[in-house]
Amino acid sequence: MAHSSRKIWKQPWGYTEGYLAGTGICLSGCILQLSAGNIEPALYAFPVNSIMGALFVTGLLSVHLLAGMKRIVRWLSGVYATTPALVVLLSLSVILGLIPQFPQGTANEPRLSTFFTSLGWYQMTTSWPFVLISFYTLAILGLTILRRTAQKQQWRDIGFYLNHFGLFIAFLGGILGSADMERHTMTVREGAVEWRSDHSPGEIKELPLAIQLDSFLIEAYPPKLVIIQNETGKMLPASRPDSYLFEGVAKTTQLAGCTVEIIDYLAHAAVFRDSAFTNVVPMLMEGAAEAIKVKVSKPGLSQPVEGWVSNGSYLFPHIVLQIDEANSVAMPQQEVRKYTSYVTVYTKGGTTRQAVIGVNKPLSVDDWMIYQYSYDDSKGKYADTSVFELVRDPWLKVVYTGFFMLLAGALFLFITGPKKRLS
Amino acid sequence: MTWNALIYFAAGALLLWGAGAALAMKYNTKTLPAVMTTAGLIVFFFFIAALWHSLERPPLRTMGETRLWYSFFLPVAGLLTYLRWNYRWILSFTTLLSAVFIVVNIVQPDIHDKVLMPALQSPWFAPHVIIYMFSYAILGAATLIAIYYLVREKQLNNKTGILQTTDNLVYAGIACITLGMLMGAIWAKEAWGHYWSWDPKETWAAATWIGYLLYIHYRLKKNSSDKTAMILLLIAFLLLQICWYGVNYLPSAQQSIHTYTS
Repeated sequence: MAHSSRKIWKQPWGYTEGYLAGTGICLSGCILQLSAGNIEPALYAFPVNSIMGALFVTGLLSVHLLAGMKRIVRWLSGVYATTPALVVLLSLSVILGLIPQFPQGTANEPRLSTFFTSLGWYQMTTSWPFVLISFYTLAILGLTILRRTAQKQQWRDIGFYLNHFGLFIAFLGGILGSADMERHTMTVREGAVEWRSDHSPGEIKELPLAIQLDSFLIEAYPPKLVIIQNETGKMLPASRPDSYLFEGVAKTTQLAGCTVEIIDYLAHAAVFRDSAFTNVVPMLMEGAAEAIKVKVSKPGLSQPVEGWVSNGSYLFPHIVLQIDEANSVAMPQQEVRKYTSYVTVYTKGGTTRQAVIGVNKPLSVDDWMIYQYSYDDSKGKYADTSVFELVRDPWLKVVYTGFFMLLAGALFLFITGPKKRLS
Repeated sequence: MTWNALIYFAAGALLLWGAGAALAMKYNTKTLPAVMTTAGLIVFFFFIAALWHSLERPPLRTMGETRLWYSFFLPVAGLLTYLRWNYRWILSFTTLLSAVFIVVNIVQPDIHDKVLMPALQSPWFAPHVIIYMFSYAILGAATLIAIYYLVREKQLNNKTGILQTTDNLVYAGIACITLGMLMGAIWAKEAWGHYWSWDPKETWAAATWIGYLLYIHYRLKKNSSDKTAMILLLIAFLLLQICWYGVNYLPSAQQSIHTYTS
């Protein structure tokens, strides 16, 4: 804060002016938001964003070259302007982190607090105050870099440039690039070819790629056994449910006060059940369920209970083994370890490519990235329909350039630490 | 090795760390406290390694598992600060804070099983989380020093030295936070299709980052108040806590894809 008796807006400017400028820009953003509504990123798609970026950088350069020595520019490229700008940006980020966000166009926006809606707080990242303060911060950052170039260079400045210029490139590229980013999901059945993205009914978007799903595979973790409460179906002990991951036949384990012995296991079983009778037989076919035969004893139980437990499949029912009035042994749905699509991708340019796409293993074709997004799980582990996400982000290289500069800058900072103070 | 064995290893490690902290307070030589603390770290790391082996995946998925690493890195940060800047009391504080997180882990254990969801099966998983936990521990040490400063402000005679130490810790900490964040971004591009989606966890990570940037930039001015700088450290650490686990209790968390409790 300013310590002198200097009047506000009288040079040299300090933090007071910084906070006034920061909140002023934020308030202007609020007025724009209230009158014009949220920003529509699609309006800024190429070439608008590139022109804006070029104008922004040219503007900063001209300010630096023509007025770099002026007091106001020196103030704008210093700590007195930076810190307040960061405080305002931080405040908006905190609101963004507290309030659930609803992407534009979704119908389930909260109707209750219309004031938050008008301020754009449910779509913070495309609201005027947030975008304006981001550009204000970027302008400060840009001018700070330019001002440093005019000073005598030291080896330590490498770290400064990597961090500041890297952030400038990544930040500006990220904002401008968001208008050009395309994301589509595509649902493909085994054996089928698809080139249209999933859109609302009546609206079809054709993509320059076609995906043929040759096969889709799900790998599940081994089945688990749990003890449940018959009445509620809740797993026991209620405070911290216990479970046993199947590891093979003839093992014994303790589960929620019961001793469970694994007697038999069928990886592919058919389960037949009616009110009086349950039968489990091996059957190698699609839709077969996994089943485990267990023997359970428990203090107070006159003799052990023996029988099959299964989590069923889309063809067969699940079965639990009742131990007594209160509890049963059950097998919850298995957790998925991996799901993978074997695909053939055709491009408009005429190339054909066979590839495997999995989670964390996207496929890059032309300027598209194809991701394993999800699958239709109505058939459980026999799912035959895969959902892909196709993403095109022409600005990725720009942003990554900034990222790698920042990575190097962070290493530099870690090694060199803060500047030694003379005092 | 199961989670139930934690109590024995933790007890052993805490005894050694406690002994190291006590020796640091009592004697001038640094060797013995350093040996004790390192021995405690070896005991504690043995547990982490054995847990890793038995779970057949990196123990970094659940909140409890991240607390485990935090309990490990706190004495590391304390030891480095002690050896480098000679604060005798820092080991007691990091041991105490580490003990708090160990007790939480023993009293309120998570469910730790072998399951690792497909999104987490990536070479980025371990470095991303480990570097974050390391930076949290370093910044935790900086916070302890800030509290020490604010409580004893009137009695202190080497304020400049204390602020130089927090500067050093914050620079190292934010360097690691930046590395962790960017690794996370590159990983997110590979797993979720975009490097930055303003997921609540990401938003709070950005807020934490800005918080420490504020400290660094505020400190650049020679006429800045030392007390304000220390208060900034507390605010930034509060943001860090929200990012780490507080976010799970916020209204925005319902949309987070950053939750991995099975």
